[in-house]
Amino acid sequence: MIDIRHLGYSYGHKKILEDINLKVPSGSLCAIMGPNGCGKTTLLRCIANLLKPERGEVWVDGKNVQDYPTRLLAQKIAFVQQHPQTDFEFSAFETVLMGRNPYQRHLQNESQEDWDIVERCMKQTNTWHLRMALPSQMSGGELQRVMIARALAQETPLLLLDEPTSNLDIAHQFDIMRLLRKINEDEGKTILIVVHDLNLALHYCPHSVLLHEHKLFFDGTTEDALTPERIKRVFGVEAEVANGYLLVNG
Amino acid sequence: MKRRINIWLVCGLMGVVVVVAMCVCASIGVVAFDWGSLTESPIFWNLRLPRVILSVVVGAALSVCGAVYQSVFRNPLTDPYVLGISSGASLGAAIAILMGWEAWLWGVGGMALCTALLTILLIFKVASIGNRMHTTTLLLTGVCLTFLITAVISLIMALRQDKMESIIFWTMGSFASASWLEIWILLPVVALGLGVVLYYSKDLNLLLAGSEVAQSLGVEVEKVRRRLLFFTTLMVAFCVSTCGVIGFVGLVVPHGVRMVCGSDNRRIVPVSVFAGGLLMLICDTLARTLIPPNELPVGSITSLIGAPMFIYLLYKSKRTL
Repeated sequence: MIDIRHLGYSYGHKKILEDINLKVPSGSLCAIMGPNGCGKTTLLRCIANLLKPERGEVWVDGKNVQDYPTRLLAQKIAFVQQHPQTDFEFSAFETVLMGRNPYQRHLQNESQEDWDIVERCMKQTNTWHLRMALPSQMSGGELQRVMIARALAQETPLLLLDEPTSNLDIAHQFDIMRLLRKINEDEGKTILIVVHDLNLALHYCPHSVLLHEHKLFFDGTTEDALTPERIKRVFGVEAEVANGYLLVNG
Repeated sequence: MKRRINIWLVCGLMGVVVVVAMCVCASIGVVAFDWGSLTESPIFWNLRLPRVILSVVVGAALSVCGAVYQSVFRNPLTDPYVLGISSGASLGAAIAILMGWEAWLWGVGGMALCTALLTILLIFKVASIGNRMHTTTLLLTGVCLTFLITAVISLIMALRQDKMESIIFWTMGSFASASWLEIWILLPVVALGLGVVLYYSKDLNLLLAGSEVAQSLGVEVEKVRRRLLFFTTLMVAFCVSTCGVIGFVGLVVPHGVRMVCGSDNRRIVPVSVFAGGLLMLICDTLARTLIPPNELPVGSITSLIGAPMFIYLLYKSKRTL
């Protein structure tokens, strides 16, 4: 379980997060939404201990994330970046194999078990046929799936994804969300996703968190979160729900 | 597991090649030997053999340092020479000579280490933007530092002309003064440094994928980076303090190795040890045999190979600059 207490963060004088209090129960599939620059990515990074919060604490499974040794935290939390770096020459297989690093000692090689886990995760994300491909030879969607495979290979109970569907066409967006929901349902992983597309959240994520003006605005079910009034307040646009879809009127 | 056996097999074979090459290179030179009288010749024991061993050790160390810098700075164009770390070390060596600290066993090396560490700190301060290193700034910082340090060394030489000759030696690079003592000073440092780099070679791969990725995959990024940079700089400083500044080996060798055996630093590091040793051995043998009885500076031979390679890499990666 994630327990965020009075979390605050700022870049210089610019406040990014202010007094966030949030509990995410185990096994939830939670969308984090809000307008650009409201601190979604920063929140995710604070949870993954990639940023040290200025105020407040993030607790995961009864322990402050800052108190976890780096390796142990990597066995708890996997983080998928929004823009994976592609300027290195590791094949997709080698990239996913890196996900096993938290379980290996220095100078220790991958075991047969590691190889099997990598194969399973790559098949699960439909990237096994790409195993020999280099990042420069893959499309955005393929690369994103490889990165998700690496996060799965970490075998963590908690998975954080920063806009995994940005820059993908509509079919691949659905692919990835479907995959994440399946992982959530089958394996019981807790998944937090920063999502821009409200309809994707509405269809795939039962739980939602809305951020507005650097503060927590709403925390609850996605249906309750995405009401026309709340969308108007947070995003400043008129919207209505019809046939289970959100229609936004510019 | 299969791949791992192969790598040790490759290293074993390369080790044999290096030893054979050392024997061959030690036997050629201005004074020719026949193999029978070899064991009695003081030229072989006191001049050739230490020189050959020293060139292999230095070549191995500089190549591995190049591989480490390329991963830590996430930049294919870096090596101890291009970054100005070798020059930084040579400044320390020049100061130590000026102060007359050659008599102390670790005096010159220690001083070279201090200035080399200062250089790398300066590079970090100037070239890092947040967590990233900006390629252009990184290279320009290296170039400027090299200019600055060369200027300071010229000043020192102008002020102390009696020490000029031994300081020039450091800025040109040569194995001519190789002795067993130098080997005994350098060998433990290089062995320690190589050990540390090998220990962290898997982390190097993850650093190459980005520091945020590395941390979320369980690497203590700051600690590992600091240790790697310290021990590689240690190796560079002691190499420079024994044989002066030798350029581009750290650039050429890891790239050559990468072309053959891929990006995995667990392969690149051990293979670079042997490939770098072999390359430096050949370069030094050429340096002392091409125009007998005179010698060429070995640095000019490595630069003849390395500079075109650098230009090629620059050309190839100009999109990212």
